[in-house]
Amino acid sequence: MPVAASAIYFLNLRGDVLINRLYRDDVGGNMVDAFRMHIMQTKELGTCPVRQIGGCSFFYMRISNVYIVIVVSSNANVACAFKFVVEAVSLFKSYFGGSFDEDAIRNNFVLIYELLDEIMDFGYPQNLSPEILKLYITQEGVRSPFSSKPSDKPVPNATLQVTGAVGWRREGLAYKKNEVFLDIVESVNLLMSSKGSVLRCDVTGKILMKCFLSGMPDLKLGLNDKIGLEKESQIKSRPIKSGKTIELDDVTFHQCVNLTRFNSEKTVSFVPPDGEFELMKYRITEGVNLPFRVLPTIKELGRTRMEVNVKVKSVFGPKMFALGVVIKVPVPKQTAKTSFQVTSGRAKYNAAIDCLVWKIRKFPGQTEPTMSAEVELISTMGDKKSWTRPPIQMEFQVPMFTASGLRVRFLKVWEKSGYNTVEWVRYITKAGSYEIRC
Amino acid sequence: MAPPGQAQRSPSPSQPSGKGEVSDLKAQLRQLAGSRAPGVDDSKRDLFKKVISYMTVGIDVSSVFGEMVMCSATSDIVLKKMCYLYVGNYAKGNPDLALLTINFLQRDCKDEDPMIRGLALRSLCSLRVANLVEYLVGPLGSGLRDGNSYVRTVAVIGILKLYHISAVTCIDADFPAMLKRLMLNDPDTQVIANCLAALQEIWTLEASNSEEASREREALLSKPLIYYFLNRIKEFSEWAQSLVLELVAKYVPSDNNEIFDIMNLLEDRLQHANGAVVLATIKVFLQLTLSMNDVHQQVYERIKAPLLTLVSSGSPEQSYAVLSHLHLLVMRAPILFSSDYKHFYCQYNEPFYVKKLKLEMLTAVANESNTYEIVTELCEYAANVDIPMARESIRAVGKIALQQYDVNAIVDRLLQFLEMEKDYVTAETLVLVKDLLRKYPQWSQDCIAVVGNISSKNVQEPKAKAALIWMLGEYSQDMHDAPYILESLIENWEDEHSSEVRLHLLTAVMKCFFKRPPETQKALGDALAAGLADFHQDVHDRALFYYRLLQYNVTVAERVVNPPKQAVSVFADTQSSEIKDRIFDEFNSLSVVYQKPSYMFTDKEHRGPFEFSDELGNLSIGADAADTVVPAHQVDANDKDLLLSTSETEKEDGRALSSNGSAYSAPLYDAPASVPASQIQSDLVNLTSGLSGHVPAASLAIDDLLGLGLSVTPAPAPSPPSLSLNPKAVLDPGTFQQKWRQLPISLTQ
Repeated sequence: MPVAASAIYFLNLRGDVLINRLYRDDVGGNMVDAFRMHIMQTKELGTCPVRQIGGCSFFYMRISNVYIVIVVSSNANVACAFKFVVEAVSLFKSYFGGSFDEDAIRNNFVLIYELLDEIMDFGYPQNLSPEILKLYITQEGVRSPFSSKPSDKPVPNATLQVTGAVGWRREGLAYKKNEVFLDIVESVNLLMSSKGSVLRCDVTGKILMKCFLSGMPDLKLGLNDKIGLEKESQIKSRPIKSGKTIELDDVTFHQCVNLTRFNSEKTVSFVPPDGEFELMKYRITEGVNLPFRVLPTIKELGRTRMEVNVKVKSVFGPKMFALGVVIKVPVPKQTAKTSFQVTSGRAKYNAAIDCLVWKIRKFPGQTEPTMSAEVELISTMGDKKSWTRPPIQMEFQVPMFTASGLRVRFLKVWEKSGYNTVEWVRYITKAGSYEIRC
Repeated sequence: MAPPGQAQRSPSPSQPSGKGEVSDLKAQLRQLAGSRAPGVDDSKRDLFKKVISYMTVGIDVSSVFGEMVMCSATSDIVLKKMCYLYVGNYAKGNPDLALLTINFLQRDCKDEDPMIRGLALRSLCSLRVANLVEYLVGPLGSGLRDGNSYVRTVAVIGILKLYHISAVTCIDADFPAMLKRLMLNDPDTQVIANCLAALQEIWTLEASNSEEASREREALLSKPLIYYFLNRIKEFSEWAQSLVLELVAKYVPSDNNEIFDIMNLLEDRLQHANGAVVLATIKVFLQLTLSMNDVHQQVYERIKAPLLTLVSSGSPEQSYAVLSHLHLLVMRAPILFSSDYKHFYCQYNEPFYVKKLKLEMLTAVANESNTYEIVTELCEYAANVDIPMARESIRAVGKIALQQYDVNAIVDRLLQFLEMEKDYVTAETLVLVKDLLRKYPQWSQDCIAVVGNISSKNVQEPKAKAALIWMLGEYSQDMHDAPYILESLIENWEDEHSSEVRLHLLTAVMKCFFKRPPETQKALGDALAAGLADFHQDVHDRALFYYRLLQYNVTVAERVVNPPKQAVSVFADTQSSEIKDRIFDEFNSLSVVYQKPSYMFTDKEHRGPFEFSDELGNLSIGADAADTVVPAHQVDANDKDLLLSTSETEKEDGRALSSNGSAYSAPLYDAPASVPASQIQSDLVNLTSGLSGHVPAASLAIDDLLGLGLSVTPAPAPSPPSLSLNPKAVLDPGTFQQKWRQLPISLTQ
């Protein structure tokens, strides 16, 4: 039986209980002690998120300065449990206005208990959709919506939404200005060998959407992905327009997307929830445009000196620029003195992370700034251990650039009242784990 | 069961002791209880909040139960909720007081607001007091018929709760049948899903004592019902979908067309954003196609992409859960994933538990085409600062070497590790080289040359030391100073804490003795003497065994200790295929993460030494208990599957022994006269007096030879007739030990 949880605990880093909610009797009340004793106070913490202690299994996750612990005694569905925690946290965040930490929990614990009651019953997840829950659990929470304004919302209708099929949107929304914001956020993951060959590279992207639309609109999104375009040209029996098409390795959609239609017509059509949500996620491994090339040369001159030269090439269009570029070059622990020369940005040595940190706030395309640094080391006696070089890591954001080449071709909004909508589309590429071995 | 246990815990210093505060609260609540003044709700709220927060941190506030109930007559829904929460927590410990709440809960169950009806019903069912169940039946019955779906969802789960409190009441009220009717007719999908969950639990638990229940449970898997769910699957919430899919996975379709229909219908579920739904769908696909081999393979191909996406998105914990499943699939069909090996490369910042799974997968998918890349990548990790990671990587290289035919390059890599001069790298590598040599003896020249250069002083870890000693014994003819290294190790016998190393030392010195007798003679004597005096039972026994063996017949001893060895072609698999299949059947559950079937961690008898959970009230958490926990995922746990431990070598020795078992008996009894034996003996010793083949005499000589200086009371049973192995032990261990002790070997000192 895929029970997701028998009990849920929220603990702070010291192990104090912030929230405890027992759903089933098959686990005891002292589970927190067991968790503290066998996981928090041992080296086990962080070694594995799933642990068995006695007959119970503990799943735990750290979110900011809080541990969320799920306890079960049966053969539970792990993926479901973790997903539940993640969803619950995002629900809490939407209630607390963005932050989820110890203070937020302490200030809102009554609300959390209310929510925990609604989102799970006897270990089975119920409704976790913030849009619907906010209808009847409000921060002020003075009255239930049913009794307070009976004339405003007819009862059967409201409860249909509480549990009903179109769980993600309520009826009767009205906006003066109908707007849709579309954000395509990609993160590039790269692992490059010291010889400069790409060992592994992929892009995980998501399309975030913010809708301020009246009524029950039907939206249709067109992308320049290969399958979608081919299908379209088939239907319209005309050749594919020239231009780049890309191949998505895999796509997942928000529950509002009509998957049947996606499979038959390859179009993304949906009735969006109100407000912000993640429309789809995708993954691409072929034909990734890497925004940056990093060319490091590190020379160890004797036992006490090192020479570090790093050249970073930006390979996107000259009119574009990257923001917040940070390059972290690891150096040995016994670094004593550093001196830098950079052609752009600023560099300094950060002893806490044993890295030379080179920051460039604005990095135009088609340029190649360099950093050359001299590192002096404290000579250590008899330490034979050669320094193992961790990879160079890089952070950046490139607006209006997609590493995958994905583009939104159209976004159509159709509503029976036929209003006009304003659509905004943004692209941004961020560094995921961008590692270059040296 | 919560609060009473918690209450006894002494509160941690950071928390208020609570005594004074609780009585304060009690007084304040009492004041407010009767008051109808405006604004009283707000002050009540503050007090209630305080009570709940005390309850949360584990202070016993059950003493204010009466006051809480008195204050609960309110129309404020937040107050009501807090009160319900409080009552739900403490009712079980205070059954008498719980009776007080029944009244107002029952009244609320008839409230005109469906929200309150639902909440009250949920709280009523959460009281968990066995003698109050009679009050539940009525409200639950009307809850099921309620016009509002919210109340119905609560009522359905309420029935499941009732079943767990008192199964008889639930069955007698005929609730399961009502649930079934509701499941088939309700317009609301959440109600349906809850019905399904409740019925599954109830009928599974009932099935053991009622035939009807087990029939009903079977009926859940009937075609009409499955189709009913499948056709509506898109209307269900994501959580309910995974519930339904779990059910579908157990369904056995009547023919192949049906299988394809179901798969077609569910195809789009693989694109769902919820990992649990995707995994549940994958389970359905895998289970349905088990009988169709080629389609099954195609399913693997199809599910690859969604799984890899799930792994790379979400928190590390989520990807760990998915990765465990991917791991299972990779282990089942490594070939299908061999081209995706780059997905299993580790990122620098990933947590160790993710990296470890990835390493295992890299190991599994290695084949002729990608080994070079994979091993190169693994060598990067071996140079990693993170020591556990480096160790795992070296082991992974070793495993790949053991499963490949062309190990040329890998052996070179391993030998390079030895030159890195890091203790832990050397240690891991030695263990691997030992295994490698057991499988590929042809590499001995290359390896021995490098291993010979390692100073035994730099090797401290028992496993590595044992491996080094094994090699010294096994290849003593090729390693110039093997006898002398062994000798120096034996000199430090007292300082050697690991019995494993001492056992290996005994065996190695024996082997060495047969190959280079003059040089080893003294060492062997010392080792046997030290071994006989050893306090560790196994070491003592082995020393005694060797001693007697030498005494009995040197030829036989050599055949036992140094038999011609066959290269080990396949190392035993640690998990039987039956267990693997069971885990596969339990796809999308904890079994996959633990890598063992559920009965091993949910049934009591399999849980291992650390026992609690049921009588948690008296859970004693001593600091020492921490050591006895069965760690599901310990780094060392992995040692087992590499099969490097001594038990392995012992097994091998054991096998040698048993294979010689037949030769042991009659036919060879007159062996001493045969040429090789006497040759060795005379080689060994310049023993004069007639090596007539008279056993006692020979043994005497050996005593002298080994310098044991034993009094000449040879073992009393030197005439072993035909030795036949007795499959079953005749003596129980106790008597055996008793007898064993009486044997006259106290001669050592």
